[in-house]
Amino acid sequence: MYTKKLTTKQIILKILLYFVVIDICIFTLYPYFAMFCSALKSRAEIFSVNGTILPVEPMWSNFIDVWKRAPLAQYAINSLLIAGGSTLLAMLCGIPAAYALSRMKFKGKTAFLGFVIVSQMFAPVVLVIGIYKVMAVLGFTDSIVGLIFVNAAFNQAFTIWLLRGTFMSISPEMEQAATIDGCTRIQALIRILLPVAAPGIVTTLIFIFINAWNEYTVALTLISTDTSKPLTVGINIFNGYNMIEWQYLFAASLFAILPVVILFMGIEKNLTSGLTAGGVKG
Amino acid sequence: MKKKLVASLLVMSMAFGMVACGNSKSDDKKSEDGKTAISVVAAQYGQNTSDWWDNFVKDFNKDNPDIDLSVEVVSWNDISSVIDTRISGGKEPDILNIDVFADYQADDLLLPIQDVVSEETYNKMYPAFLEQSEIDGTVWAIPDLASARAMYYNKDILDAAGVEVPTTWDELKAACEKIKETNPDVYPWGIDMTTDEGQAAFAYYTWNNGGGFVDEDGEWALNSDANVEAVEYEIGLVKDGLTNEKPATETRYDLQDLFGAGKLAMVIAPNSLPTYCADGGYEVNYGVASIPTNSGTSVSAGVMDRFMCFDHDYSDEQIEAIKTFFDYFYDDARYSEWVLMEGFLPATQSGAEAMVEADPSQESWISILDSCKFYPTAKAEWADVKKGVIDVEQRALDGEDVKTLLDELQTTIAGE
Amino acid sequence: MNKKKFRKVEPYIWMAPSMILMGIFIIIPIFVILRMSLSKVTRAGIVKEFTGFDNFLKVIHTSAFPMVLKNTVVWTIVVVGLSTLLGFILALILNNKFKGRKIARAIIVFPWATTLVIQASVWKFIINTDYGTLNTLLKTLGIIEKNINWTPTAGAYFAWEIACGIFVTIPFVCFTVLSGLQSIDSTLYEAATVDGCNYWQKLFKITIPLVKPQLTISTILNIIYVFNSFPIIWTMTKGDPASKTDTIVTYLYKLAFYNGKKGEAAAVSVIGFLILLVCSSVYMISVLRKEED
Repeated sequence: MYTKKLTTKQIILKILLYFVVIDICIFTLYPYFAMFCSALKSRAEIFSVNGTILPVEPMWSNFIDVWKRAPLAQYAINSLLIAGGSTLLAMLCGIPAAYALSRMKFKGKTAFLGFVIVSQMFAPVVLVIGIYKVMAVLGFTDSIVGLIFVNAAFNQAFTIWLLRGTFMSISPEMEQAATIDGCTRIQALIRILLPVAAPGIVTTLIFIFINAWNEYTVALTLISTDTSKPLTVGINIFNGYNMIEWQYLFAASLFAILPVVILFMGIEKNLTSGLTAGGVKG
Repeated sequence: MKKKLVASLLVMSMAFGMVACGNSKSDDKKSEDGKTAISVVAAQYGQNTSDWWDNFVKDFNKDNPDIDLSVEVVSWNDISSVIDTRISGGKEPDILNIDVFADYQADDLLLPIQDVVSEETYNKMYPAFLEQSEIDGTVWAIPDLASARAMYYNKDILDAAGVEVPTTWDELKAACEKIKETNPDVYPWGIDMTTDEGQAAFAYYTWNNGGGFVDEDGEWALNSDANVEAVEYEIGLVKDGLTNEKPATETRYDLQDLFGAGKLAMVIAPNSLPTYCADGGYEVNYGVASIPTNSGTSVSAGVMDRFMCFDHDYSDEQIEAIKTFFDYFYDDARYSEWVLMEGFLPATQSGAEAMVEADPSQESWISILDSCKFYPTAKAEWADVKKGVIDVEQRALDGEDVKTLLDELQTTIAGE
Repeated sequence: MNKKKFRKVEPYIWMAPSMILMGIFIIIPIFVILRMSLSKVTRAGIVKEFTGFDNFLKVIHTSAFPMVLKNTVVWTIVVVGLSTLLGFILALILNNKFKGRKIARAIIVFPWATTLVIQASVWKFIINTDYGTLNTLLKTLGIIEKNINWTPTAGAYFAWEIACGIFVTIPFVCFTVLSGLQSIDSTLYEAATVDGCNYWQKLFKITIPLVKPQLTISTILNIIYVFNSFPIIWTMTKGDPASKTDTIVTYLYKLAFYNGKKGEAAAVSVIGFLILLVCSSVYMISVLRKEED
């Protein structure tokens, strides 16, 4: 009797869950649906007074033409380099810092954590003036490398804070045991702590990657050569003085989302698998 | 503790060191493999601009093997912030193509344009255009192209409402009311008072009411009676429901698209509107007329963009290279291609002749250019005035008193 | 170096790369801005003589400034508050096991994976009165007959901008919280069930305390990012009409690059920085204190 009642309740809950999830997905996808439909329309149809939801005559050629109208592939490669490089650099600098902040006792710890946050508080649209000056001195203007440094620096706060939280939620006993067995601290960090901390690390990776992928203000000012521009700045070509070419802008933007979503789907399973590793041993 | 102190001191000293360095102009134009390098930043007028410049650079570098030209095209939305940031970093380009010049001149960043443009090319320009770039008797920039504004109307909508093309303000208002009566689904009249280009609307109405930004002596006269009347008329059209619904957030692009889609009966737009409609695939039956006026003579608004040259202590070779660039650009055939590409109007006499020859319908536009008024962009306070009048329009729309607002603005500007 | 000494220095070595990175690419630029805010800056952006607090005084006495401040506060609180709440709920939902969860999660990433400029353009496009897809959709579904003006007032436009802000911020909160939820030991819940706890008790006694670090960091960072967010408002209204939809950042951008007042713009950014500093330090100090106990 009792078990039967529970299953009915569970079934209702499951249906409710699907209902909610599907609604949320539809709502989330609506702007992309609108983008997609508009990308298939001619300009006149986009602005037509008696418009229809779906294009009357889908212009699939828009999706092909957009590649001829701008070097999107080159922009995409640049974006990948920038986002990938920034992620790597941010992690390389952030993981040791987060490790020290979660596992060691030293003076100025609290102050440093506060400082990291405070460093993020200036609006990038203004800060770019100062960043440009630094880049001019370092010879990094118009350079993807310079952009990687800036993006990595911008993402330190999140990296350090989130990883520190993750590391602290993991018991240090395992590493201590390993150190006694003769491991160095670096070995203990790489072999023991990082695998257990995978969910937090994956979240951080995704976060930095997406942020760097979408960064606009600094890239715009810093990069002047067309062949070094990332997608965000490059697709501005469709945003002219005389007209905004919505159909191409939207088509290109849809392409620009794909790599991120693919990366996410590839990496997403780690969000869960890390947990089991930690759970069993904990 | 000591370590921390040392570290923070290090960062601090680096900070100040770099700030100090950033100020010195360390821009050496060392040319690679003996070539003279010239850098240009150009504004992006439309979808063809980048391609046009790409080809230009290829041709130019082929024809001038000892010069290494590079051109960067930046969208209008971002160009001024990009340039200003580079100026702060001491990395401005050699040549810049943009709308305004006075701010750069005020900081002594520019060279007199005659120093870097050959006599022959300089003499091609309309003198009236050159005057627009003159401060203290020196010309600091040359025009690259111009555009002029006129009223476009949808013939079908006007015919259906049985109204003639309006030429005066009273006729305009009557026509709008008639159109609204017969066809409540269309907006009779289009107004853009956004941050994008609200100063243009201010100019259309004040200039056509005998007012404007400055008086005969060239002094700011923003709160003249003619201006107050003009802005009140403009706001009145909105309040009476005769215009697009949200003039404070609908830019002229929105208006052009509404016009193309047949949702807007009349609008003041640049001469590039036909190109806009054709490229967009709009099939709208339109006509062109002069902007309705309240003072007897219709005044058109002209907009002009420019080339200017930053002062980088050039060697003679570099000056020659820059001169070569301008000669190459203003070569008649190449120049008319440039102007026609996005449907603009030429700034040189020979360019105008070439254009009329290619397309006789452009002749009326060329003559309009002669009678246009331009924004007083050479005055140092222009940026403030521009923002100020847009603010006045938007606040008046919100119900504030026009006279008070304009008085306030005049006091702020003239008092500065 | 002996071992004891090394132990003392070691933490700083671990943190050095991060400190150097931030020092060069963030802290030095901040000094540049601080200096600008205290100096006369020409319209073209060249820093001239030191003028003390002139720029600050000028800014504070601008008539629109109080309204801009108010807008910024409303914008930040509403966007952060609602997106944190909704993002948290969404994370709870996505933490359940169900078929298609992977796809659902990928879909939720979309708003985050889109550049803000584009996202804002699309929203502007959707809510347009005359050709907007929302009106088209509702007309096709037969819900409305005539086009609705979704943005009749400045306040309405601001509300849409806030909605867009929430839309793009939810994924960030959701995934940050999700990463915390995933590392909670499931035996805790089993034990609680045995003890007879209901869903809400488990939520408040186990879930929320354990994802608190993630929730804390996402809230602090969101406050900062949303406060300084530029593209949504800039793309949709540019602060029009008459600064009624301006926040501090769009306002200072106009000051700096439309109006040529870079010194004053730098001063506005310093004021914004100070506001953020005061607000978040109260929060941060309390969080860090508790941790240290």
